[in-house]
Amino acid sequence: MDIEKLITPASIVANLRASSKKQALQELAKRAAEMTGLHERTVFDVLLERERLGTTGVGNGIAIPHGKLAGLDRLYGLFARLETPIDFDAIDEQPVDLIFLLLAPETAGADHLKALARVSRLLRDRTICEKLRGADRADALYAVLTQPSASHAA
Amino acid sequence: MASISFVNTLLLLGAMLVLAGIFSSLIASRFGAPLLLVFLIIGMLAGEDGPGGLLFNDYQLAYLVGSLSLAVILFDGGLRTKLSSFRGVLVPSMLLATVGVVVTATLTGIAALYLLDLSLIEGLLVGSIVASTDAAAVFFLLRAGGLQLRRRVGSTLEIESATNDPAAVLMTVVLVELLLAGEGGPTWDVVGMLGRQALIGTTVGVAGGLAASWLLNKVELPAGLHPLFVVASAVLIFALTAVGGGSGFLAVYLAGLVLGNRPIRAFASITSFHDAATWLCQIAMFIVLGLLVTPSRLLEYAIPALLIAAWLIIFARPLAVWLCVLPFKYSRAETVFVSWVGLRGAVSIFLAAIPMLTGLPHAEVYFNVAFFVVLVSLVVQGWTINAAAKRLGLALPRKGAEVRRVELDLPGQLDYEMVGYPISADSAVLEHVAVPGWARLVLVIRENRVLNPTEAGPLRVGDYAYFLAPPWQVYRLDRLFATSAEAREADGELFGEFAINGNVALGVLTDIYGLTIPPEIRGTTIADLFDERFEEEPQTGDRLPLGEATLVVREVDGDRVVRAGLQLPEAAGAVGSPLLRKGVRRFLTPAVAWARRVQMALSQLSKRAWFGLSRSRETSQGPLSGDQQENR
Repeated sequence: MDIEKLITPASIVANLRASSKKQALQELAKRAAEMTGLHERTVFDVLLERERLGTTGVGNGIAIPHGKLAGLDRLYGLFARLETPIDFDAIDEQPVDLIFLLLAPETAGADHLKALARVSRLLRDRTICEKLRGADRADALYAVLTQPSASHAA
Repeated sequence: MASISFVNTLLLLGAMLVLAGIFSSLIASRFGAPLLLVFLIIGMLAGEDGPGGLLFNDYQLAYLVGSLSLAVILFDGGLRTKLSSFRGVLVPSMLLATVGVVVTATLTGIAALYLLDLSLIEGLLVGSIVASTDAAAVFFLLRAGGLQLRRRVGSTLEIESATNDPAAVLMTVVLVELLLAGEGGPTWDVVGMLGRQALIGTTVGVAGGLAASWLLNKVELPAGLHPLFVVASAVLIFALTAVGGGSGFLAVYLAGLVLGNRPIRAFASITSFHDAATWLCQIAMFIVLGLLVTPSRLLEYAIPALLIAAWLIIFARPLAVWLCVLPFKYSRAETVFVSWVGLRGAVSIFLAAIPMLTGLPHAEVYFNVAFFVVLVSLVVQGWTINAAAKRLGLALPRKGAEVRRVELDLPGQLDYEMVGYPISADSAVLEHVAVPGWARLVLVIRENRVLNPTEAGPLRVGDYAYFLAPPWQVYRLDRLFATSAEAREADGELFGEFAINGNVALGVLTDIYGLTIPPEIRGTTIADLFDERFEEEPQTGDRLPLGEATLVVREVDGDRVVRAGLQLPEAAGAVGSPLLRKGVRRFLTPAVAWARRVQMALSQLSKRAWFGLSRSRETSQGPLSGDQQENR
């Protein structure tokens, strides 16, 4: 599963402003709604529903909120770097500043899981996260996310 | 003069062989070869057919070295077995160690009977010689291989292998005596002899263990003498039982078990001494056995021996295991794995030396066949043990982050030990992770000053932090002092991608991820699922499959799972890129770790053996008395 299949340069937000987890999710839902043509509220509800099962703040300043939505035609990814880190209820209780949102159609099945595993592995790479935190423009962020990294070379 | 130079030559040769064994551990772990096999091969290379050209045929000496080593190894096995790990696996393990041995021996014996053209009792003797799984080999390969098995499988195998040697030894000794006495002794004699051996062994072993622990706590010994006292007591218990007509091996194992599960002083120094002693015994035993065999003669028995080994591995052992665990609902994967880890080892070769020693007819047949079977088992099973565990989904990938840890034994009490860690710039503890409540920070050493926690405030780079923690949980602290990257990687690999609360219903969860589960468990929560599937309380790291994914226990409160990790299927099973990268490290890290461990063990050994005597008594009185050991 290639990251390129999930995001385009247009689905990167270089400096998202949010002061809370809820607000961040709302912002992301809004942008995802623009991209997918779905209703903002629907996306937000699905994300919130998922957070209730357990946080998607996977630690080290990273969150990977995700959910399944009827009416999507494919997997959609959305990456945002927050201007200031926020409390996200993360597993390590550390503030989050890198968020990768992943939305899957009802029918995605195994692809959904593969995409999640791929994103999670990508963001577990420390050097990549450092580069993401160092970049400040959407195209630079996109390049870091999609670069064939050392860990992906094999 | 001649005899002095002979002694010197002997010492030279012995030391060279041991050193060769130690260094070969580096090569062995790099190629994943079972170390015991390497020791054996070094012995064979040094022997009469190899470049070493040493002619060694002293079965008496080999038996002496073998008995002594085996006694120490078994004692160590007992010492390290916590009775609590018996929970839930005691009965199946005991069945395997008794009924399993008899079934394996009989089935193998029947094959040997035909293949080697022996009488019934002689055939059974071959069967008994190779019937027991080798505690040394199993413990060693399970632990040193860095393999973290699911609790039930690991405990079953360890307890089985530690307790089945006495059964095989008993059978062998009894059969040899029968053969010596002439054919056709009445069977009740055999039963009586078995009973007597077991009874005396149990009595002396338990009594000896109790006496040793009582003495250890009662008598004030210089600190360095505790481990020596224990090892000497072990040998005494072994020899005393054997002289009195009991099973010394059973006795010494039980004594270790008693000692290891009672509060005794200096436990840390005793176990670290035994680490070294066990290593030395393994090396000595395998090298001597390798020397003893004549490889060219071995080949004469290659074909029947190979067939016996194949029969044992493919048919006899699996059938015996299957019969023994039948009532206990082991999964197919578990049964297969337990069968596969029927490693034969030094015990079998050692037992095969008994007929030689007593001058039985066909003695050479027993010895060479047994040797060959062990060789095959070590190569085929020993080499594939990790792969098998992963293939069958029984391995837990707990990656031990490499941490320097100092352990201090606190005399007089056993609920806590003191551990110290250096804080480096990227220690996880500096970044985010909180120190768990059960670990108490007691002092910080900063710039050569000793500070109490209040004075010290938050930990800084370059500090040495000392904690009081329950010994059985200490390893969990390691994570905090690993570099945070390592800790995070270990976490992600172990616990999966996402954390899910324990009260979530499975149906809700599986809908989101498109996982398929039986409809009747959709309403069950994660916590309930672990409750139902585990007879004992679940522990962090316990795993259950959930459709295509895996649930891993992350946090437990009392006996309820409050948080579990969801491990996605691709990450769990893929041979993806990070795994490859890790693969390289997986070969290198153990090699380095082993080298350090061996080095440490040897320095401990020499320190304790030679300087322990001169240690002053005062040092053993202080609160942090003496037994400092650095683990890496």
